[in-house]
Amino acid sequence: MALNVTLEEKDGVAKILLEGELDASVAQKFKETVEQAAAMNPTKLVLLMEKLAFMASAGLRVLIFAKQKMGEGVSIYVVGAQGPVLKTIEMSGFHHSVYLQDTYTE
Amino acid sequence: MDPLIVPGTLDSLGPIRTYVKAAAASADLADDAAYALMLAVDELATNTVTHGYQDSGLSGDIMVTAEMAPEELIVTIEDTAPPYDPRAHRMPGEEDLQKPLEEREIGGLGVFLAMGGVDRFGYERVNDRNRVLLAMKRGKSSQPPRG
Repeated sequence: MALNVTLEEKDGVAKILLEGELDASVAQKFKETVEQAAAMNPTKLVLLMEKLAFMASAGLRVLIFAKQKMGEGVSIYVVGAQGPVLKTIEMSGFHHSVYLQDTYTE
Repeated sequence: MDPLIVPGTLDSLGPIRTYVKAAAASADLADDAAYALMLAVDELATNTVTHGYQDSGLSGDIMVTAEMAPEELIVTIEDTAPPYDPRAHRMPGEEDLQKPLEEREIGGLGVFLAMGGVDRFGYERVNDRNRVLLAMKRGKSSQPPRG
């Protein structure tokens, strides 16, 4: 399964929809999308992960990149991450730095 | 199961996960154990490709073998890259894991996730090959009962 990455921006909120499997072979695609999002100078970055079936540490490194690129002032929301993906985020301690939510409402 | 032999490139990660997933299903692993094993193999194969082969300017194959033992599913990953024992990797400690992302170092997470997710982990250098062993206990009740 490949990875689909879709970016949309509205009212200063950049949303990235991730669908499929995020491993080291496709992490660059996610990273480039984060760079595009950063260029929009958003106030929030929302990552929609409900349809993400797999995430390796390569995906986590893009989250680090996003935080470092956008700065502390931009909050990162991880929305709808499923069981094992959520567990990976928590094992890595990333839940201290991003907001984990089941759903996102504007 | 017959071994899977694939080129040591990132494009092989998908097929490797498919192979491990099938082995986990045959071994009747619980869903969370199957995912943890798949993630562990993916992380170690990624390290082999990027550090073992690419950083050394080498190319080679990766061989993944799933072996069903009565009590556990054993997956070995072999490559012909320079000697590398994942257990020697510096891994993030509790203090690192608490750090905000803006202060995080990029390395070590993959091996940390791999080793933390499996029941047994081993490494040996055999005939100019790295051989990493990952094992998961079989059966649906790998999780301790809640409460």
